Amino acid sequence: MQTPNNAHNELAATVGFIARYASYLMGSGVHTSRVVRNSRRIGDALDVEVNLAVFPKSIIVSGTDTAGETFSRVVTIPACPIDFERNADLSALSWEAHDCKLTLAEIEKRYDQLCSKPRLDPMLVMILAGLANASFCRLFGGDFTAMGVVFTATLFGFFVKQKLAQRGMNHYLVFIVSAFAASLLSSMSLMLNTTSDVALATSVLYLIPGVPLINGFIDIIEGHILTGISRLTAAIMLIACIAIGLSATLMMVKSELL
Amino acid sequence: MELFWNTIAEYNRNTWIAQCAIALAGLILVVLLFHRPTERVKRAMKYYIVLLNAWITVVYHLWFCHERPYNYATTLIWAIITAIWVYDVATGYTTFERNRKHGKLATLFMLLPLAFPAISAARGMQFPMMTSPVMPSSVALFTIGFMLAFSQRVNLFIVLFICHWALVGASKIYVYDIPEDALLACAIVPAIYIFLREYVTANVSAHSKPDPRTANILLITLSSGIGLIFAALMLHPLLQ
Repeated sequence: MQTPNNAHNELAATVGFIARYASYLMGSGVHTSRVVRNSRRIGDALDVEVNLAVFPKSIIVSGTDTAGETFSRVVTIPACPIDFERNADLSALSWEAHDCKLTLAEIEKRYDQLCSKPRLDPMLVMILAGLANASFCRLFGGDFTAMGVVFTATLFGFFVKQKLAQRGMNHYLVFIVSAFAASLLSSMSLMLNTTSDVALATSVLYLIPGVPLINGFIDIIEGHILTGISRLTAAIMLIACIAIGLSATLMMVKSELL
Repeated sequence: MELFWNTIAEYNRNTWIAQCAIALAGLILVVLLFHRPTERVKRAMKYYIVLLNAWITVVYHLWFCHERPYNYATTLIWAIITAIWVYDVATGYTTFERNRKHGKLATLFMLLPLAFPAISAARGMQFPMMTSPVMPSSVALFTIGFMLAFSQRVNLFIVLFICHWALVGASKIYVYDIPEDALLACAIVPAIYIFLREYVTANVSAHSKPDPRTANILLITLSSGIGLIFAALMLHPLLQ
């Protein structure tokens, strides 16, 4: 039989884990309603009714157990790298907890295993970003030479982004410098007989914050206006930084395009 | 194309003595690095690399190529590379320690800049309207060889820049009738594989995927892809 003190500790541990889980998902680029659904599903599995108040930088998690006792926790949302595979794994964990009625200890163990899975090597991400950007160049009408220029310019710009981010430089400055570096290198296509305007325009597409933009819209549509506007504002700020970096190159090499 | 070769002719006519001195200094420093790699020699080589890049930025691009369209872009790009070398020298990132793994390939790449004027002469060009060992592509080629021979740690900024420059060079072979740039395009394909493999090996982590073997296969695929792009860029105008 559980004593009131044990029940309180168990509730605190459950709410603490759900707070950790929800903040990780929010920081990893999952839209708000999915985070709320997943967290509630884990709460259901552990017989705790979970309510979340999600803010741009923090989450308030409140859990009520079958005895009617409530425990609340406030957590800061960390800035995690976006990893769709991990997000899918963590969503699947909430279903597994629900369907198999896992205990808190088992869920925590699985969560730690999933979070310690290896991530994609930054070098591979850089190469894939280069290929994706070259493909965008083709989609927008760029020719073979422009695709090559965009590929190598993206490799350089992406590497600059990775290194500056590693050094802890301001996020917005990183975007300005990376956009400038990639567009400056792709501006060399102006000297060649190629679709240089397409090469210039598409060289910075790897920086477009697609995940915050999409999540921002989904959040607003699903009624999470505060987080939605916050995510869209952050995305618009990054787009403005890309525009500054690209404009700096255009001012130097082809001001008539501005 | 006429403007392109006129600027090269003007550059060669006015700087051939300095170019000879720079090439000779490079040759002496490389020989010393191979045979007597003292701290003073290493320091001298670091300053030489910075000066070589600064020369290409200021004298070649800014001064003699100022009539070319978009010369500010190329000047700025080379200025950034010079700045990266200055930073590298200041922080001691490239240690200038002998890397014996690719000795023959590195020696070949370091000597290839001397082949630039020979190729120009072989295809009937005359001084001063010909390529020389102290021009952007030949300096990039020398840098690849030098980094292969004396770099235990790879400065990937420089490698990626040279890869980009080689691609632009391969694209302008027919636009500016400069087949000498094919040397750089051919050299960068094995070099990019070696540099990326060493970088991945040095930075491999248990918390990242794919595993080193798969990463190696991917790098071979990437290098082959880059080789195909270069080959296509060089052959495409011919086929047209």
